[in-house]
Amino acid sequence: MNSHRAAVTVRPGPAWEGAQQAVAVPAFWLLVAVSLVGGWQVLAMLHTGAAAYPVATGFAVVLFALYAVPFVLVARSLDFFEREPPHLLAAAFGWGGLVATATCVRADEAAHDLLAKLVSPAFATVWGPAVTGPTIEEPVKVLGVVAIGLVARSQINSVVDGFVYGAFVGLGFQVVEDVMYAVNGVALAGRGDAVGPVAVVFLLRGFLGGLWSHTLFSALAGSGVAYLVLHRDRWGLVRFAGSLLGAWGFHALWNSPLLADGFGHGTAGVLAALLLKGTPALLVILLLVRSAGQREAGYYLRQLVGEPEVATVRELSALATGRTRLAARRLAYARGGWKLANRVKQLQRAQARLALDLSRDLPRAAEHREEVRALRRWLVAAGHPDAYAPDGPGTAGWGWVGGCLGAAVLALLVAAAIRALGGG
Amino acid sequence: MRRRVLRNLAWSLGVLVVLGGLAFGLPAVNAAIPAAQAVSADRPYPLGYGVTVLPPPGAQLDVTKAGTGTALFVLAGVRYLLVVAPFAGTLRDAVDQLRHRITANRGYQVTGPETSTWTNQGVAGRQGVFTSPGRNGRYAVFLARGISVQVSIAGADLDLRQALPALTASVASILFPGKP
Repeated sequence: MNSHRAAVTVRPGPAWEGAQQAVAVPAFWLLVAVSLVGGWQVLAMLHTGAAAYPVATGFAVVLFALYAVPFVLVARSLDFFEREPPHLLAAAFGWGGLVATATCVRADEAAHDLLAKLVSPAFATVWGPAVTGPTIEEPVKVLGVVAIGLVARSQINSVVDGFVYGAFVGLGFQVVEDVMYAVNGVALAGRGDAVGPVAVVFLLRGFLGGLWSHTLFSALAGSGVAYLVLHRDRWGLVRFAGSLLGAWGFHALWNSPLLADGFGHGTAGVLAALLLKGTPALLVILLLVRSAGQREAGYYLRQLVGEPEVATVRELSALATGRTRLAARRLAYARGGWKLANRVKQLQRAQARLALDLSRDLPRAAEHREEVRALRRWLVAAGHPDAYAPDGPGTAGWGWVGGCLGAAVLALLVAAAIRALGGG
Repeated sequence: MRRRVLRNLAWSLGVLVVLGGLAFGLPAVNAAIPAAQAVSADRPYPLGYGVTVLPPPGAQLDVTKAGTGTALFVLAGVRYLLVVAPFAGTLRDAVDQLRHRITANRGYQVTGPETSTWTNQGVAGRQGVFTSPGRNGRYAVFLARGISVQVSIAGADLDLRQALPALTASVASILFPGKP
């Protein structure tokens, strides 16, 4: 990778820019104001549900809050080298859950009604979600990443950052929307304050539809914002438009009635149709995330090249992706148990911090270099001086096959559970 | 610095305009276009799942609430909602479901005795009365061949009294597919 491309791939922000600078810009107050208004509206909506169905609403809130945890962990693992500040991630989540949800509840309903009036009620019923959902929701969610960029532009310094902020916006939207769907499901079931309909919505929207939902769509759109921030030219605009269009397209495909009958093969057919509609989004976005992640990792890892006591050649390879970082920890666990695996994890974190500091010429780099050396001494003493990841391409294919089979079995079990709960 | 803040302000206002346009502008445009559409009282209206109903004379269809399984007619200020869906339980279960939905609305109470009723086709159902602040209502539920039809009628007392004969006739005209 040449230096020009590296400079474009990652643009480290100035170290001095912190919360004080964010407060000084109008966008910060916009973010605060619309979050408060959106929060008030979402709370009012949830309060209506909680008043009628307190147990079911509480259950839905807890269930979907827990559901968000693995998504947060995966999204956080993406920005391994340059961690996004928690308050900005919370703001992104809040935008999705409060601002975007409150806006879209009103706009979606109006757009659906307009379709019914201007086209036909039948069209609005069948195609409404595919047309209005992505057309309203994707732009509103992507504005969350734009708002984050306006508040703290220096924090969007790679495409990966756009994926991360977009994912958090989408996750906030997904969680709050699912809670609302669950409470509506309880009301529609007409069985009083029962948790059964909540479980059905959780399985339907959480498992069968949750993997390729708002988190993924918004991550893609967010990457376009980041690209535009890094490339203020026509190509940046094209990439931004392309990513938003991609998010729109995947969302529209997922919401569309296409293949809704499952090829006439009952539950198995419907599950196959869901996979067919959702997998393209998952694969395309995972490939893009992987590509952006590798470019970002390449930039930061170059800061550590030539210092074997800081990072060996094999460690540099291991640091490049989440999979290889995990493989290095697994190897350590196999050799020396949790303690050694934990030290390898600490070493990887310290190496990432050092790489970040070196890229920004920060004085605390010396402190992190010493931290790395101390961990190295510990590892040498433990007989594991090189925290490398073993080469294991032979098992990767089987891992995918196993994962796919496991997912298929899980999908069938979830479908059976939904039927047993009366979800149809 | 000042220029940067001004640019930030301009972008922020742009974001606000888009949000406001979607949250308030779009609903305003929607509200400006009437949702009611004239519907023929002579032609059976398809509710979905093969069930039809003859709309009351003079009623208008709310196109925003019309979809497979749902139809909302408005007659002189009275809302006449029909919901059709496959139903695996008994008529009692279907009635309980509708009563739960009605009473889940704040201030709504089911009052008076529940009585039997029949459509012109001979399908048996149950009907009752509910009330809410400023509005009174009637409900009826029919079940045949695994399909339930839940009817709710609500309006101001005077409007409801005047519209009730036409609405009762319309409810009786509900036609399930096949023989009863």
